[in-house]
Amino acid sequence: MPHIDIDGRPTPFAEGQTILEAARAAGIDIPTLCYLPGRPAHASCLLCIVRVGASPRMLPSCATQAVDGMQVTNDAPDVRDARRTAIELILSDHLGDCLGPCQGVCPAHMDIPDMMRHVSAGRFEQAIVTVKETIALPAILGRICPEICEKGCRRSSSDGALAVCKTKRFVADRDLATGAPYRPELPPDSGRSVGIVGAGPAGCAAAYYLRRRGHACTIYDDHEKPGGMMRYAIPRDILPEEVLDAEIGVILGMGAVFRGGVMLGRDASIDDLLARHDAVLLAAGDAGQVAPSALEGLKRGTQGLQVDRHTMMTSRPGVFGAGGVLIATRHAVRSVADGRAAAESIHQFLGGSPAHAPDKAYSVHIGKLDADQMVPYLQLGSRMGRTAPAGGAAQGFSEAEVRAEAARCLHCDCRKASSCQLRTVAHQYGASQQRFKGDRREFRVDLSHPAVVFEPGKCIACGICVRIAAEGRDKLGMGFSGRGFDVRAAVPFDGMLGDGLQETALACADACPTGALARTTGSDI
Amino acid sequence: MIALFPSRRTQAPPPAEELLPDPGAFVEAVVADTGREPQALIPILQAVQRRFRYLPPEALHRVAELTRSSPADIMGVATFYSQFRTTPVGRHMVSVCHGTACHVKGSMLIDDALRRHLQLGIGDDTDRAREFTLQKVACVGCCTLAPVIQIDGVTYGNLKPETAPKALRDFLETAGRSDETGAAPIADGRQAGEIRITIDSCCIAGGALQVHDALVQAARLSRAPVAVKPVTCGGMCHQIPLVEVAAGRREPATYAKVTPQEAEQIVRRHFPGSGFGARLRAAAAGVMDRLVEVGAGDALQRHSLDVRDKPVCAFLGPQRRIATEQTGSQDPMSLEEYRAAGGYEGLRRAITEMTPEGIVDTMTRSGLRGRGGAGFPTGIKWGKVRQTQAATKYVVVNGDEGDPGAFMDRMLLESFPYRVLEGLTIAARAVGAEEGYLYIRAEYPHAVTRIREAIRRCEAAGLLGNDILGSGARLSLTVMEGAGAFVCGEETALIASIEGRRGMPTLRPPYPAESGLWGMPTLINNVETYAMVPWIVRHGWEAFAGLGTEKSRGTKVFALAGKVRRGGLIEVPMGVTIRQVVDEIGGGVSDGGIFKAVQMGGPSGGCIPAAMADTPVDYDALQAAGAIMGSGGMVVLDDRTCMVDIARYFLEFTQHESCGKCTFCRLGTRRMLDILERLCRGEGRKGDIEKLEELSGMVKAGSICGLGQTAPNPVLSTLRYFREEYEAHVQGRCPAEVCRPLVHYTINQKCIGCTKCAQDCPVDAIAVTPFEVHAIDDALCTRCDACRRVCPVEAVELSTGREKSHAAH
Repeated sequence: MPHIDIDGRPTPFAEGQTILEAARAAGIDIPTLCYLPGRPAHASCLLCIVRVGASPRMLPSCATQAVDGMQVTNDAPDVRDARRTAIELILSDHLGDCLGPCQGVCPAHMDIPDMMRHVSAGRFEQAIVTVKETIALPAILGRICPEICEKGCRRSSSDGALAVCKTKRFVADRDLATGAPYRPELPPDSGRSVGIVGAGPAGCAAAYYLRRRGHACTIYDDHEKPGGMMRYAIPRDILPEEVLDAEIGVILGMGAVFRGGVMLGRDASIDDLLARHDAVLLAAGDAGQVAPSALEGLKRGTQGLQVDRHTMMTSRPGVFGAGGVLIATRHAVRSVADGRAAAESIHQFLGGSPAHAPDKAYSVHIGKLDADQMVPYLQLGSRMGRTAPAGGAAQGFSEAEVRAEAARCLHCDCRKASSCQLRTVAHQYGASQQRFKGDRREFRVDLSHPAVVFEPGKCIACGICVRIAAEGRDKLGMGFSGRGFDVRAAVPFDGMLGDGLQETALACADACPTGALARTTGSDI
Repeated sequence: MIALFPSRRTQAPPPAEELLPDPGAFVEAVVADTGREPQALIPILQAVQRRFRYLPPEALHRVAELTRSSPADIMGVATFYSQFRTTPVGRHMVSVCHGTACHVKGSMLIDDALRRHLQLGIGDDTDRAREFTLQKVACVGCCTLAPVIQIDGVTYGNLKPETAPKALRDFLETAGRSDETGAAPIADGRQAGEIRITIDSCCIAGGALQVHDALVQAARLSRAPVAVKPVTCGGMCHQIPLVEVAAGRREPATYAKVTPQEAEQIVRRHFPGSGFGARLRAAAAGVMDRLVEVGAGDALQRHSLDVRDKPVCAFLGPQRRIATEQTGSQDPMSLEEYRAAGGYEGLRRAITEMTPEGIVDTMTRSGLRGRGGAGFPTGIKWGKVRQTQAATKYVVVNGDEGDPGAFMDRMLLESFPYRVLEGLTIAARAVGAEEGYLYIRAEYPHAVTRIREAIRRCEAAGLLGNDILGSGARLSLTVMEGAGAFVCGEETALIASIEGRRGMPTLRPPYPAESGLWGMPTLINNVETYAMVPWIVRHGWEAFAGLGTEKSRGTKVFALAGKVRRGGLIEVPMGVTIRQVVDEIGGGVSDGGIFKAVQMGGPSGGCIPAAMADTPVDYDALQAAGAIMGSGGMVVLDDRTCMVDIARYFLEFTQHESCGKCTFCRLGTRRMLDILERLCRGEGRKGDIEKLEELSGMVKAGSICGLGQTAPNPVLSTLRYFREEYEAHVQGRCPAEVCRPLVHYTINQKCIGCTKCAQDCPVDAIAVTPFEVHAIDDALCTRCDACRRVCPVEAVELSTGREKSHAAH
């Protein structure tokens, strides 16, 4: 059998096969976006370029026939650079957000659009799962959070941001009111334990996520009851005691142990805690909450305890920090986010791998849309203005109100955020959307099809839908429109998607490498 | 403005009042004629567009119903080719040429002036009365008359911003006039002589038809036995309308830049027929008046050109004509004259004396390389097609001459149609093809008409068809009009276009020689390459190989234009230097400018700086210098040309002409253009030049076709030789004072307050303040230069920088 040589590895191929086909058959990874197996190559995305021989040119491996003895370079710095450039060029004209702007702004990165979808559909049991994925204390935060995420809401520039905070509060209150609040399934005990100093938002959140990982945890606090600043600094009319007790109660119900009346430095030292536990998390609020000598030996900065930005670990191995102990003025939501990040880091530390915070989710951004561009964008949500609770802010939303409010969400996040191939390669190659920033197309959305949404701004002109529609003999189908920079996949004769795709609509949506064509329900939802 | 004369109306649009047919019914009639196969799609849409001036949706739906093309195919084609419009337009199309020569001579200012005149808002292209629709076109191939506009196929040249609106008025006044001269007057054998006038597209744009008509009338009045004959292009485009008089045995006399008024004098001088005076007095008193007015002797003296005159000698001197043999004397449409001068001797020899292998061998030994730009050895290509076994093979003429600034192929097709056809027929015999296509760009209507007519005459004469020269050899030819896509000059895209698809290139291999048109072996050569073939066969490969340099044999035709005194169509032996071409043939830089560079190869080529003007015309030498031979556009640039602007101009072109398939070209050229536009606006940033270089490398290495691979060349070559101009732009200065946002007009204290500038300013940026020093409102100023040209005391100054310079005040 004839062979080609890919990065020094002899790779057999069958007569008529391309370099890409030979590589894939041998399990060698070459990225593609426009490749449709079994069909003639379109050779447009150019992600699959390789170097053949010593030529200065790079060739798309999807369209280059393998020839016996060919020397192919697939994994080399210049090939990677060219691929990254191709991705960056594609991103420079890719009008979409992988994640909603609100998600990026929320300190805890809560999946707000997902919560809104569940709420507007009345699926409150699923909404609380989404919320607690990142926010362990939503009923509490729903009352005291400064609503940072709402500043990121795309709708804030037109008719008012979504009432994210009150929606979250409704979801959490309703969950607590069921009498059997949501409790994530717990894995078997890991046999490891963590000592947490401070029962405020950071400590409680950390306990929640550590328990979810199967680790035992004990929360030490000098007060008699857990809650820290939430209990002792916030007026009761804003945050009623029963809410506090119920929400922290869920965490204690998951097996976290609370030990009140213990002050670090007075009643126990870090050494004591390390003798009792496998790791220690300092989450005692601002440094006034511990005896001055307690933090001796740990690196401090001007604002508080110093930790590694990625791992949340202090200068002492096994000792972590979160919340106000790092920066005294931390918002509660920021402390909750810290608690979760520290818990994940401690989990890795306990597992023996070097602690590192979870990968930051890759996202491209549309950025600001002007007023004209907001007109088509607003089609994605209900036309109502921001809802105000009829019973006043303290009362919160009624069910009808919260569902109406959630229906306003524009779902800026991509329907294909987890299946988008462009996002995957962009992350993999560390591509920047900003590097070739320039003119880009306008936002448009076609909602005419009952099951598939078409966002031409996300189209990368790969021609996959064009080929599938042509094979499926849909009456109008999809075709290429325009030339050069303006080439787009489009329904012929200015038709809408509902006219163009019938038989092949779902196949096209599933094969589309980006969110340009996506199932209305989203493949991720 | 010398050229406010209409030429033939190519696509005579119907008057507004005329009732247009039902689009659906019209399509039915067209399809009945063209058939319903995919390759009929482009001709069908062209017919619809000609009739309705755009593609009405009803027509497109009917095409989908009646033909085998799917809605997706139809949309794809209708939106790919720039000839097609999907929205209604005004009664007349005004095409503002943005070719290279027009660009360096200020086509943007012409565009601005027309937009102001038609009161078009931003984004509009049609005036309120829906009389005119304005569009930019890549190049109409009349580079020596730059800047040029075309109104429904009528070309107006040598325009200025002030005079451009007059062209619109002139068009409306003369609309309806039928123009193209018919067949050449038939000689009756008793003539005392011949009056020859060149009537190519450029000449027509320069007013040759009016001069022709005037000559015919004067000859008739004089009753002299003289024929007025339209002849092949002489290449002296800087002298048109060009008239040559051959009387008796005397050396022919040549007159340049002749006006219709002077035609009578020319006839009278050489053919003083007996009846002339009487007829003139009786019938043409008006003409007499004008003659007196003009001043008989002077006018002729002024325009008389002797071929022994120094400038003419210089222009013709270093030239050597093979593709353009018999220039300026033959009627381009006369098959008899072509044959009398040795035409079809090559084909006869190829058929009766040579084997197909022998023809291929002759081509190989001659050293002929493709004249389309890349320079691939012609014999090797022919041999490959010859060797590939297949039931059907095709020969194709690539006449999609798209480089802005090049018009050699147009001239060859218009002036020497039989030579191209003969070369094609020899090629078909060599490779074993019996079917052929001539793909000619839509912007060349005269070329299409003449080639169609030439094919008809050849078929009638047994030089094409089923029994060529009685040998039983067959060749049937089809002319395919392009639809406005530069990329179709790339051979795989050209094939897609003939097949009726979007002109998107595919990766080679497979090469067309193995798998081309409908998957069959296909020989594709450029017009000029074919035009070389008859001479080579007739004179033998040794004669051709004896010309030129070691690796570049024979001659090359160039379109010399831009900032040069004597622009035109020239043919020189390979190996002459750029300097010889510019200085000796072209007579140096025009209008007192300083020679800065020559742009060669258009959007795929580069600039050769004046310091390297001794570079010979040779494929390899030019490539080493960062340019390419290209198809033959040679645009001379002077010190008033900004090299960053030139790079921006070409990137704008390639970006617009990119087929849009592959990422590096579709988006890479756009991002390069973004940077260049930023630089020309004075918004350049640190790192822009480096980013430009990096992107250039990626686009070059990663694009799949020639268009993308060569698109960065204009940037790379100007960066190589004129980097300091880029750096100046990053700092906000345009040293050549061209980039409009970086240039400021101010009035100094020499101003005498005459208000001339204020009156000429088209945008009222200068207040009318008599006897006071005038001032220019920089925000309103469009940099049209009108004030500076009109100022009697040189009080208008130019400066460059991000901010308006106050030094002058």
